[in-house]
Amino acid sequence: MSELLIKNGIVYDPLNDICGEKKDIFVRDGKIVEEVKKPEILDVNGLLVLPGGVEGHAHLSGSKVNAGRLMRPEDGRRGLRRKTAITMPESGYSVINVYGEGYRYARMGYTTMVEAAMPILTAIHTHEELRDIPILDKLSMTLFGFNWFVMDYIRKGEMDKLAAYVAWALKISKGYGIKIVNPSGGENWKWGKNVSSIDEPNISFGVSAREILSSLMEVNEILDLPHPIHVHCNRLGQPGNYDIAIDTMKISSGFETKREREPLHVTHIMFSSYGGEKWKDFESKTDEVTKEVNSNKNASIDLGQLMFGDTTTMTADGALEFALCKLTGSKWSNSDTEMETGGGITPQIYSPSMPINAIQWAIGLESALLVKNPYQVWLTTDHPNGAPFTTYPEVISLLMSKDRRKKEIERVNKVVQKRAILSSLDREYGWNEIATITRASQAKAYQLNDKGHIGVGADADIAVFNINPEEVDPSKDYEEVERAFSATKYTIKGGEIVVRDGEIVKVFPGKTLWTNAEFDGYYELIEDDLKDWFSKYYTVSLSNYGVSDVYLTNPEVIKTNPKIGGRIEVPAE
Amino acid sequence: MQNITLKSKYDGRISVEAEIITPDNFSGKDAKEIGEMDLFMGNKTVKLKDIFEVSVEGSSENPEDTEIIIKGNTDRIKRIGEGMTSGKIVIEGDVDMHCGAMMRGGKIIVKGDADSWAGREMSGGELLIEGDAKNYIGGAYRGETYGMTGGKITVKGNVGAYLGEKMKDGEIVVEGDADMISGMEMLGGKIIIKGDAIMPGGEMKGGTVIVMGEVTDRMPTFKMDGMEIIEGIEFNRYTGDLSVRRAKGVLYMKG
Repeated sequence: MSELLIKNGIVYDPLNDICGEKKDIFVRDGKIVEEVKKPEILDVNGLLVLPGGVEGHAHLSGSKVNAGRLMRPEDGRRGLRRKTAITMPESGYSVINVYGEGYRYARMGYTTMVEAAMPILTAIHTHEELRDIPILDKLSMTLFGFNWFVMDYIRKGEMDKLAAYVAWALKISKGYGIKIVNPSGGENWKWGKNVSSIDEPNISFGVSAREILSSLMEVNEILDLPHPIHVHCNRLGQPGNYDIAIDTMKISSGFETKREREPLHVTHIMFSSYGGEKWKDFESKTDEVTKEVNSNKNASIDLGQLMFGDTTTMTADGALEFALCKLTGSKWSNSDTEMETGGGITPQIYSPSMPINAIQWAIGLESALLVKNPYQVWLTTDHPNGAPFTTYPEVISLLMSKDRRKKEIERVNKVVQKRAILSSLDREYGWNEIATITRASQAKAYQLNDKGHIGVGADADIAVFNINPEEVDPSKDYEEVERAFSATKYTIKGGEIVVRDGEIVKVFPGKTLWTNAEFDGYYELIEDDLKDWFSKYYTVSLSNYGVSDVYLTNPEVIKTNPKIGGRIEVPAE
Repeated sequence: MQNITLKSKYDGRISVEAEIITPDNFSGKDAKEIGEMDLFMGNKTVKLKDIFEVSVEGSSENPEDTEIIIKGNTDRIKRIGEGMTSGKIVIEGDVDMHCGAMMRGGKIIVKGDADSWAGREMSGGELLIEGDAKNYIGGAYRGETYGMTGGKITVKGNVGAYLGEKMKDGEIVVEGDADMISGMEMLGGKIIIKGDAIMPGGEMKGGTVIVMGEVTDRMPTFKMDGMEIIEGIEFNRYTGDLSVRRAKGVLYMKG
């Protein structure tokens, strides 16, 4: 029985309404408990204590990330760190090797991560890499946005079959929830085209983004999935796309859900808040987009903050990557994942002197500053699209300090002062709000009841930072804030100290969480359709498809209560 | 002024990664401290004193006043002078790959031959190779966007293939002949080849390549647009490589 007492830390735990209290935390066998008998004592007098961080949206494993690694050997030569007695070597800056991903998150106090895009066909690859990401607990979102089965059932109005297919696909890919990328438009990209609005029917199937979104949101509710539908909007990254983000969020307005979270999540909002008609008159429309977020309690966003420097963009939205590579002339790769999804990759250099990049940088911060309820915002950089996740400490310090933003605004292209509103925003995030947007919001949105807080019964995932929140004024000492968030004093994962003074001291595999939403007779509903299309179109046979349990480390199944059919009793694992 | 002499006693066949050998790392240190620095040999770490005899004369905290002379057999020593910012390195024999890679300032003189990737991605300083050099001199290592972006490379002998690949700025002068496709995917800067060349300027988008000797296998994708006299010699001026969009590279060849 291992016990731990974290003494005298200054705790911010927004989900339990603890805001800067000096408090002891007791840990036994990987859980937070009320008292302990003979603990190891960590005296963290006056230091900032937060729940372990939860990464809500990042691209960390799978075929797309690995293609990025292969495509960018030059990135692999950056960020090298030798192996030690307990750690494997690290490499990469934007496309990091699997070990490095685990260690770098842990050093920043993160203990849970979500892989944001997993095609069903290559789910095995995703899970093989997840298996090698150390320390963190892992979730992955399965892609459905322009899956042929999904579009076919929507076209025919067969909601039961759609629900059955989603439940089956989540089970077979060991996914956590529904990810939707460029709904309907992704299919058009297979013909070299895209969609221009959420009501435009696509080629071959004639279904619109609106139909896909509302049907999958309905299915999400029918299957009682823990996470909202996770949407990457149409026309992402193109000037004048802000109205699509607003239209997408409006789909959820008035929607009733049993779960205590928004039914729809719009991801990396920075790429979807653009005004203007061309790159020439490109401007920030964050005010309009956040107005919708503030009035619509049914949608949440994450930032997708862009930070200057070199990175690798990768998404299932192949059309976007093609447009980007045309803009930069950089190398590019595209893939078409049969009947399910697609993807593209291209490296990017974001420069502060480039007007477009400077405005994009401002948009991410504006979104965070303009949304009133911090539970509707997650801090992300859409790693690695906006920037690598290792820039989070810098983003945090920018959100906490108006002075720092002012200093940066002077450094970047002057166009920011005219075509963005960042310079007029006075809000500064406090410690509690930072704790919310890096931990609590995500834990709530993914309905991870044991994560993102340190109340009794929660997983003992704790981050202790080398900074005294009562003495440091984040508004002035922003460099101190950045330094503190870059490397923790202690990161505790499942009751074990994994990081001490910024160095990894213990390595073990985390858990893999997935959602089982089976209901009575769900497979029989779609069996004939699956067999038909697999024999006709797929390059693999149905029996070779999907991820078996041997690929998962410490799997943990989240069982749901579908409102359709009867619940199948799944034997406990 | 600080003079550091490294005398190689290494005659093994496994290459030694010696990126530590720069005036920036050595200045202000004595022979013992330098000898204790780590090098990679294959997958093992060795001390610098295991490979070299170190002697130091004088002392200087400033890398600018630091000169490193490397004697003995150095043809399996890689990455000498990588990323150096100032000072001077003189290598009396041959040198293995990546010599002067990513250097930003200072000067390197190689009295023997240099292997591939010498002066790759360098952004300043000067690299003088008195013997021959192999492939990708001043080029970009695998995946990198730009090759050389500044400084000067002079090769007195012949060079291998892909000289100045993806070069963006700076100057390369080759007094001997060049193998295939000098200035491949070049974006800017200047390459002068005093000897012969094969297929120069393939996929070049910008910059200038001057070939003073004979050219074999000319690329068919260049367009002749005039004549010019450089250093008293008449050259035909070509623009290309037109297989690349918006290419503005200039290639001077005789005839």
